[in-house]
Amino acid sequence: MQRSQTFYIFTLLLAGGGALLCALDAAGGLIEHAPWPMLRLVGALSLACGAIAGVATLESLRHACRNIIDRTRKSNTFTAIGEQLPKSFAFPWLSGAIREISDAADRAVAEAKLRAKELEIQLKVATAERQHAEAIIYSISDAVLVTDPFDELVLANESAAKTFEFDLVKAAHSPVDQVLHDPRMIDLIREMRQSHSRNGRRIVEHEVSSGAGGGRTFKITLSSVTDGDAPAGVVAVLHDVTREKEVSEMKNDFVSMVRHELRTPLASIRAYIEMLIDGEAQDGKTQREFYEVIQNESNRLGRLIDNILNISRIESGLVRVVKQPQSVAVILKEAIEVISPQATQKQIKLEENLPPVFYQTLADRDMLYQAVLNLLSNAVKYTPNGGTITVQSSVDESQKKILTRIIDTGVGIPPKDLPFVFDKFYRAQANNRVASGTGLGLSLVKHIIETVHHGRVLVESHVGKGSSFGFELDLCE
Amino acid sequence: MNAGEKTILVADDESHILSVVSLKLRNAGFRVVTAHDGQEAFDLALSERPDLLITDFHMPLLSGLELCQRLRQQNNHVPAIMLTARGYNLEPSDTMQNGIVCMISKPFSPRHLLETVQEVLERSAAA
Repeated sequence: MQRSQTFYIFTLLLAGGGALLCALDAAGGLIEHAPWPMLRLVGALSLACGAIAGVATLESLRHACRNIIDRTRKSNTFTAIGEQLPKSFAFPWLSGAIREISDAADRAVAEAKLRAKELEIQLKVATAERQHAEAIIYSISDAVLVTDPFDELVLANESAAKTFEFDLVKAAHSPVDQVLHDPRMIDLIREMRQSHSRNGRRIVEHEVSSGAGGGRTFKITLSSVTDGDAPAGVVAVLHDVTREKEVSEMKNDFVSMVRHELRTPLASIRAYIEMLIDGEAQDGKTQREFYEVIQNESNRLGRLIDNILNISRIESGLVRVVKQPQSVAVILKEAIEVISPQATQKQIKLEENLPPVFYQTLADRDMLYQAVLNLLSNAVKYTPNGGTITVQSSVDESQKKILTRIIDTGVGIPPKDLPFVFDKFYRAQANNRVASGTGLGLSLVKHIIETVHHGRVLVESHVGKGSSFGFELDLCE
Repeated sequence: MNAGEKTILVADDESHILSVVSLKLRNAGFRVVTAHDGQEAFDLALSERPDLLITDFHMPLLSGLELCQRLRQQNNHVPAIMLTARGYNLEPSDTMQNGIVCMISKPFSPRHLLETVQEVLERSAAA
């Protein structure tokens, strides 16, 4: 309602009131002082009329108010109320004012309802987003920890619960130093929160020890989350790099070993050649010895290089496998012939017990030959001078299998190493000094026999007595 | 230099190294005694009292370093030349204290070895 309207109504009321009082006063005066009784009667009558008019007006107003009250109670909008007011002279201003108020009230209510609806939608969206985020976090295989500005755990996934050994349900909203029993991890989270960096990030490597003993190494990415300028907490994602580190370490070891292994025969070759050049080999016998050494070491170097290249190529899938029926006995014989000089050098006796050549297996000739050669080479390496190596192959017609065994009287393999002998780079520590090796030979054998030819590798060994390495392949018609 | 009176002990588990080095030194006029492992070398060092020790670092039973340490403990101050795989470095404290005067990395040239041997013997003769 405008101010002028308010002023107007007020003035009207005042004027009206004043007029009424004057009329009453005049009527009263008339009754008291009128000369004739008729005038006194008129005065009394007008007074009575005035009283009745006043009562009627009040009654009408009371009725109108009653109406308003009833309407308000029944309806939801105020607009209807304004329309119920009786229309008469004094009331247009009043009803207009009430109508204005009721319109404003209606608009306010409508706006409030709209706002409430908007908030409801926003809440639904926020909830859906939160559930979505939670679903994402739970499905991540890396461990995820989310903390709030008070270092309390607000979100974590199954992987985190497993890594730090806590109960997901119980840990919710618990202080991080009560949930995690890893002081370094707790420190990292605290430091990140205190760093006050806006959307900062830090990557750290850390080993988390497990109750069961041992531990796993993680690459931890910590991010601080801010809500505007205020820190909202920390998100930590732990990626398990234990295996990667192991493999990387193995690769480094491998490279060092390869370097050493390649250098050794090369060193011999160079030394002997230099001796020959300098005329240090003064007689024919010595010269011949030198030439033989150079030849053997060259061959050794060649085999080593082949081995390394083979492994790399085969494992990376570059080599084309060509399978054809092959006679196992023929391949064995060839390999035995090649390894003979080495065996002779150590006075090792080579014995064979081979099946008839017509027994064949479907195989890639080069690969199978390589596998056999590796086994024979190992046998010679780990058998001391004067020992025996037996190459035995037998056929099981009913099972349609051909089983080959290379049995030596060598140093044997300790029981604790036995499960791992076919692992890449694995070398039994006890035998480290007996012979040099890359730890690759057997891994290649296993790959060739099992992965490429779907066969089976076998090993039996007794320390001090010897070992028996074997493989089983399917016979082909 | 008159090499005829000098005895050199050569210790290495690799037979090729052993034969190359002993032949080279014998041809140069030295008396050479060989050992295939650290323990054998230790025993020979005590019994033969060589003027120089040439030893590999990696050996069964006793490493080259342990050999030198033990000899020192036995009051045997024979100068030693250590043969090592390339890239392997001993601490200076390990070498000086134990009489290791020189390190030669493999693969080595027999010529270079002979020159080094002659140098070391001259120096220790002068000392």
